[in-house]
Amino acid sequence: MSNKIVPSIYRTVIEDVIQAIKPEFDEYGVDEDVLAELKRKWQEKVLASRVADFDAPQQPPPPQVPQLPQQHHPYPPHPMHMMQPHYASHNPYGAVAAPGQPAVKAEPLDGRYMLTSGIPYALPPLPGPSLTNGRQLPPPIPPHPGGQTGVLSFPRPPPPSAPVQTSANTSPRPAQQTQASGQPAQQQQQARIPQVDGPSEFSGDEETPSPPPSQGNFAPRPSHPSLPQPAPAAPPAPRDDSEAINSELDDSDTEGEEDAEEGTVGETDIVFCTYDKVARVKNKWKCILKDGMIHINGRDYLFAKCTGEFEW
Amino acid sequence: MASAYYEFYRGSSIGMALTDSLDELITSGAITPQLAMKVLQQFDKSLADTMVKQVKTKTTLKGHLHTYRLCDDVWTFIVKNPSFKMESSDIVTAPRIKIIACKNGDSLDGPKK
Repeated sequence: MSNKIVPSIYRTVIEDVIQAIKPEFDEYGVDEDVLAELKRKWQEKVLASRVADFDAPQQPPPPQVPQLPQQHHPYPPHPMHMMQPHYASHNPYGAVAAPGQPAVKAEPLDGRYMLTSGIPYALPPLPGPSLTNGRQLPPPIPPHPGGQTGVLSFPRPPPPSAPVQTSANTSPRPAQQTQASGQPAQQQQQARIPQVDGPSEFSGDEETPSPPPSQGNFAPRPSHPSLPQPAPAAPPAPRDDSEAINSELDDSDTEGEEDAEEGTVGETDIVFCTYDKVARVKNKWKCILKDGMIHINGRDYLFAKCTGEFEW
Repeated sequence: MASAYYEFYRGSSIGMALTDSLDELITSGAITPQLAMKVLQQFDKSLADTMVKQVKTKTTLKGHLHTYRLCDDVWTFIVKNPSFKMESSDIVTAPRIKIIACKNGDSLDGPKK
């Protein structure tokens, strides 16, 4: 295959971006774990897209497992593990006043642990940085005493909400597809219910069978307008309807073409490139294209220069 | 300089993979949209530079030009039955392909001077 260079180029780009953006993450006070997570997610998605033969699939994409732990990992485990030694070390000293002392001493120590465990979470109470951190963590962080529980409990809400959203995103599409396909509808839906607890797995499954870049396109966008656009999900049936309606208003030829263009952007074979020269003599077109990324038949190709000759 | 890089490569496979990853991190509250924008801008730059430096492949494309359009210096072609002749002399075809071509950066700088 002549897209052999694709994996190495993509790796280079990923490495380059991650390296170059590190200072920005520092500036925004975002932990390096998050940067590593971004890199991992990105690589995973590129691998899963199967646009080229990535010879060394370092992570045989098990999307379900990584996603949840990721979000839990950086924050909750630290306080949890640190709390236990903390109590153990203090009990010997204040063995008599066991109930009272940990509570009193917990406050300053918690503050310290928060500082060590996760800087972003520790800073919010301070007046200065609270602005930047406020942006970063939507819910306001409670002051020191409550801070501990805040740290423990706060990271948990996001993971559920994210899965819920993705499952909400993905579920409407199955529903539409099932309407179109008919019989396997209920079976699929039933099968999906148990998967809701691992929505990442579901989305991962979804990515594998069909060209994922297109899936990636559709998943976030059409779902936001709450799935009113039937074009991408169930092409055959709605197109008939829309043609029936629009045929009076529009030129049916171009209309069908436009539908195909806009409706299946993600699935369309597409080239992103720059042009040096576009020339036409009568119906003969010649163009010189540069720095292109071709996505065709579910695979990616790159070119530095492409000479195009078309007849109109 | 920073604005001299095109954003439209974000629609490519690797760009969409990055965009989706950033979306997930924003949704989980790990990063802000502002930071995500910085990452995307860095991607524009890294991708363009890497392409220029490392990709040397030359191809030719033939086909029937179904639609052409020039708007805001962006050419859009829809080519029916395109056939790419790759360097290793293998040919890739498809029923149709859409080509989005922005003005080349070299010539882009020219008029600005």
